[in-house]
This record gives sequence, structure tokens and C-alpha cells, in this order.
Amino acid sequence: MSAPGSAGGPDDQRRPGAAHDGLAREILELDGVPSLAALYAKGVTRPLVDRLPGRGPAGGTPADLPPVTYRVGALETRGSAVAGRLAAYAAHVGEPPSDVLPAGFVHVLAFPVATAVMTRADFPLPLLGLVHLENAVEVRRPVRLGDTLEVLASADDLRPHRRGTQVDLVTEIRTGGELAWRGRSTYLAKDVVLGDGSPADARPADGGSGDGDHEATTWARPLPTARWTLDAGTGRRYAAISGDRNPIHLSALSAKAFGFPRAIAHGMDTAARALASVAARRPDAYEWTARFAKPVLLPGTVDVAVTPTDDGWSYDAWHGRSGRRNLSGAIVRR
Amino acid sequence: MTPRRTTRQDAGDNPPPDRSAPGPGPGARDAVVVGGNRIPFARAGGAYAGVSNQEMLTAALDGLVARFGLQGEVLGEVAAGAVMKHSKDFNLVRESVLGSALDPRTPAYDLQQACATGLEATIAVANKIRLGQVESGVAGGVDTISDAPIAVSPGLRRALLAAGNAKTFQQRLKAFASVRTSDLKPDAPRVDEPRTGLSMGEHQAVTTARWGVTREAQDELALASHQHLAAAYEAGFFDDLVTPFRGLARDNNLRSDTSLEKLAALRPVYGKTLAGTTPSMTAGNSTPLTDGASTVLLASREWAAERSLPVLAKVVDADTAAVDFVHGDEGLLMAPAYAVPRLLARNGLTLDDIDFFEIHEAFASTVLTTLAAWEDDTFGRERLGLDGAFGTVDRARLNVVGSSVAAGHPFAATGGRIVATAAKLVAQRAAETGRPARALISVCAAGGLGVAAILESA
Repeated sequence: MSAPGSAGGPDDQRRPGAAHDGLAREILELDGVPSLAALYAKGVTRPLVDRLPGRGPAGGTPADLPPVTYRVGALETRGSAVAGRLAAYAAHVGEPPSDVLPAGFVHVLAFPVATAVMTRADFPLPLLGLVHLENAVEVRRPVRLGDTLEVLASADDLRPHRRGTQVDLVTEIRTGGELAWRGRSTYLAKDVVLGDGSPADARPADGGSGDGDHEATTWARPLPTARWTLDAGTGRRYAAISGDRNPIHLSALSAKAFGFPRAIAHGMDTAARALASVAARRPDAYEWTARFAKPVLLPGTVDVAVTPTDDGWSYDAWHGRSGRRNLSGAIVRR
Repeated sequence: MTPRRTTRQDAGDNPPPDRSAPGPGPGARDAVVVGGNRIPFARAGGAYAGVSNQEMLTAALDGLVARFGLQGEVLGEVAAGAVMKHSKDFNLVRESVLGSALDPRTPAYDLQQACATGLEATIAVANKIRLGQVESGVAGGVDTISDAPIAVSPGLRRALLAAGNAKTFQQRLKAFASVRTSDLKPDAPRVDEPRTGLSMGEHQAVTTARWGVTREAQDELALASHQHLAAAYEAGFFDDLVTPFRGLARDNNLRSDTSLEKLAALRPVYGKTLAGTTPSMTAGNSTPLTDGASTVLLASREWAAERSLPVLAKVVDADTAAVDFVHGDEGLLMAPAYAVPRLLARNGLTLDDIDFFEIHEAFASTVLTTLAAWEDDTFGRERLGLDGAFGTVDRARLNVVGSSVAAGHPFAATGGRIVATAAKLVAQRAAETGRPARALISVCAAGGLGVAAILESA
């Protein structure tokens, strides 16, 4: 595993923009940002339908990604609804009050469009149970409250992972016709094996693979600069703000149904807190990366170290007593 | 006519402020410390349980008034503050003045700079005196943990405010409909840094680990604090600095019978999850939560002379520094390590010119990490811009009559305790030797703040 914030990671080779370069994708216009609740309902029921005899892709052998780009032409951020949501988001993750949308809030606004791609009948991986491994966002220029956003989302780079299959969801935000924000979210479908794949052709694991037990003995955690105390309602509050009401975040009971001992924090919530810790000093254009290792169990405390680097900051977050890393990443000047 | 300094008077073209410029500046006169008075400091939940900030500050003020015969006097101003403050106490200091024996026409204001409140208040009053805006003033501070404000949760507070604004019964009902059971839990004040979520002790544990300060060194400094304070009480040093209150005649955190063995037996309370370090900060080498109040009387020389009052020391200069602890650049309580070198350089002084070091013991290790930084070559070069290490503090001159580990630390009251103590120390030394004596005061504070001041026998 490469050190957080170091060059040469997978993000460097696969720029988020690759999804829209040279591939023949059909652009499908959506009337607006879809409802996440409806998408989840679809995402939950489709795999069940697929498992009916004679339906859907044959027993866990995904083939290709949907050859489409979903586009929302005009996502309006004017009005009190978005402003109120921004205020709630900022208060939750610790962003200072500002009309410049934090990169994580832009992700929240655009997330349903990417999710819509993942709930298509021809999307080869089951939505429910996808694990968010990594996230990389490139902010080219500030997106402000009141801007009209053009949102483009597609799936890219379906590839084997030693524990299943991973895929990138690439989202672009344009304002005034120019690229302002680009995000690449990497998800893992555990135990789903590609058609002709075998564990032998799996690429080397590129981090965030949840291999925390091994890491706990190899990783030298730094001295903390901060500590997050996240109460049991953290997941519910971020769910209410983001609309991401995945049951693993909502309560111990609903999380247990998916194999977690307690509810877990949204990865993007924790990454957003790290981003917020340098909010006062980050520039207009920056890259923000996060690799998610062990999930943060709620309620829980997370020790955090933010370390200045030549071109920004790197950060690590870990469970204080066990030392297991929850996430790491960097905020880098562009 | 006041004798005035003329050294920089002819700098005609109004140069920009230069923090390296010495002394009080053109036209300034001396501000002197006449004396001080405080109530004994009490461990939280003990002797002063249920006593309010206003009662304690008024008691400390009235003791000062009695000590210097100021009944019915109109003073220039009273500046003081509290870190833990009830919202009803917005005018805490003015209310305390109104309840004291001072003339009610004495102005007052509240000021707050976390643990540096008392020292910053002293600097503020001294500066007004030096500028000739006032002839006299009182600086002070007070804090209580035993009577700390407990707030309702943000959810309940929003509901209560909405209900207060409601015009109809239905609207009032609706306001409370959003209240959840968890909102009914009261919100007790905490000493966590808002931007990092780490308590002050955890922050200092990180700094302690970074500088490799040992448990033994901390316990030795803690023991010295208790021994020095106990000896000073026995010698009567505090007889004219402390007035008994509510049955307490001495700081009740003082353990004159403590020993290195007893201190070594205590379990660490901070830094228990830091990788690769041995936790070393205990209740014995940290300050306890404490209740108390302190005051210092400052004046121009003329004002003191007119009343035949003693003059212990003059306030020479002061400096406040701040560090970026949020982004891991520096430890939370390390700002004094920057303020002191700047302050001494501006006054053409070195550590060797100081007779008494009063370095606030937020934790024993705060003092030790500060001293370690000053003795460190790299810190001197990279952080202070010097050719090498800043210097070494002669430990025989450090906190010679005890400090916060032994006396306790009612946040805003500590500055007043130290200023009065330092002023008396330099006055005594000058009387003994016939030569001027200097004290350096250094106080660290929440938010990465640090305040330093120089007092000189007057």
C-alpha cells in the first residue's frame, strides 16, 4: 500500500476524466436529479428479481458496464432549499459558513445521478452491499451557491479486485460550460467475480481494501492533531442531509442485517471532516482524495492527524485504541 | 509633570509598528503594581461549591479594597473576566464592582482570553495607565467549575426560542414537536478544543511525547511546586496576597506531604492511546479543576504616592503569541515558547537577565516542553530564527513559591495570582540586594495562545 498523499497512486494513472474520453457512450438526458429513495428501492428489488429463474445475468458473472452517460442539464442551486441543506451540511462536517460549495457537498448534490447509473438493469454489480473503497475529487474552480450545474455521470473501468470486482463512478460538474469539479468514486462488489476472471489476474490491491488487521501491525500511526467524537446519530444526520439512507448507516439493528456490529459512519462524511479541517486555508482549486479502510463504528471516536506537505496536507484517521486505520488521503493544491 | 521617555520621540515620519522596538514607546510613563489580593483556590466541588463567580470576584475585590484602603474610591477601571461564564453574567465585572466597597462610579469591563485572561487584563490596565488614560485600575479574573453554566442542548434551545417567538398555542406546540429525548440531556461545559475535539490534556500529551519529556521530570516539577508553595505559606509570603474565604485560608489542593513515591504511584490520565509512547501525565502532575478569584491593583506612580501606597514593580512590556495547533504545526500550549523570546529580544534581555521565572504550570509538562524547546538548537534556528538554541532557564529561579500544579488553576484567576506573586518577589529581591530585579511571566492558554510579560522592581 502506498503512503497517503504520495504520488504514483492509482488516481494518477486514471484521471477521473477518462470516462468521457474516446468511449462511445450514449448521453441520456434526465429531467432532474432523481430521488435517491426511489433508486434504492429499485436497487434493492432488482437483484431479487434477477435471481428469479430465467432472469438477469447468469450467476454473478458481470460482463460490461452500461454504455451511457447520464446528464442533468440544469441542477439549480438557487433558493432556500439548497442553502438550508448547505448550512446543515457545513454544520455537520465542520465547514465554515461560505457560499462556495465544499467539494463534499457537490458530491452529495450529484450523487443521485451516479446512483441512477448503478441501478440500471444493465449495471453488472448489485447496488446494495457495494463498498466505497476510494474517492478522488478534483476541484478546478469554485462552485458557488446560486450556480446552475450541469451534471454528467457514468461508470468506468470495471476490473477485478482480489476480493471481488471494482468499478469507478465518474461524475463531472460543469458551470458555464466549463469543467469545475470532477469526482471518481471507486466501489467494490465483494465476492462478485468477472466473467472470465480468476483471483490470479486480479490487479494488485490498490488500497482501501479493508485489510485493516494486517495494516494494524505494519502501519506506524502518527501523533494525532484532532479527535472526532461521533455519536450514535451521526449516520442518521448525514443520511438526512445527503439523502444517502443506506441502512448500514442508520441504526445498529439495520447495520447488523448487513453484517456490521453497529451502524457505520458514511465514508464521505469522514472524508468531508478531514477536508473541513483545512477549510480556512485551502485554495480555490485543489484535489481531495480519500481511501477508506476500516469502517468507523458508531458511536465512536476517531484520532486524526493532519500533516502539512509541500503542496497541501495529508491526513490519516484511525481508531485510537486499536490503531486500525479508518481512512487516509490528501488535500493537494492544483 | 511626569518624567517622560524621549528616546524615540524624534522619529518624525510615523513609522509602522515595529514589534522589535523596545519599551513603552514615546510619551509613555510607568504603570506599577501596588499589590494584589486573592481568595484561596479550592478544588472543584469542595469549599466553594455553590459559590458564584460574582461572589468570588467581589470577595477578592473587597479584600483588595480593604488591604489598600480604597473604600469609596473611584478607580480608573476594573478589568477582569471569567472563562466559564453564565449568560446572565454578561456584565460580571461591573456587577462585582457594584457589589464591592468601591465607589459605584468605578467603570468596569469583562475581558476573556481563556487561561491568559488575568494576565491580559493586567496588560490592558497597565497600558491605559501608561498612556495616561487612567491613573489606577484593577485587573483580575475568576472561575468556578463548581458553579459552571450548564446549557440545554442545541435542539431544545432552538425549540425554546421558537416557542418564545410563537404567537399561538399551536405554534408553541409545533416548536416542541421537533424535540427528541436526546435533546433533553443537558450540555455541560467541556475543556475540549472546539476545532480539534482533543482535550487540553490530550493536546499536551502529544506535545509531551513530541519533546520526549519523562514522567520522572514531570513528577519532580510537580513535587517542587507543592514544596515551594508550602514553604512560601509557612514563611508568610502569602499573608498580604491572600484573604481567607468561606473557611479556607490556603489553597486546598496544596499537598505539603506529597512525595515522589506518592506521585509515581498515580496512574496516567492523558495520552493513553498515543502510539509508541509511554503515557506520563497524571492527576498529580496536572492542574486540578479549581474555583477561585484574584485581583491586582495597578496605578501610576503619582497615584500610589498620593495615597502613600507601596510600589512593588513596574510592568515593563508584554507580548502575546499564537500558534497553529489545528493543522499540526505546533503544540496547543507552546505559544509562550514564541512570545518570550520575542519579548526579551525587544527589550534587549536574555534569559540570564531574569531573576524569577513564573511559568504557569497548566501541566508540569507544559513548563518542561517550553524549556526543552528553548534549549533545542533546531527549534531555535527553524522556529525562532535564531543562530541556535534560545537558552536555558536556571531552575533555581523557576516558580520559586510554587505554581498552578500546587495552587490549582481557576482559569481566569491564574494571571492575577502570578502577577501579584511576581511583583512581590522582585520587590523583595530588590530590597535585599539594592539592585533591580526582574520577573518573566508566561501563561499558555486554550486556542494556541500564549502571553508573556516582564515585571521589574520599581
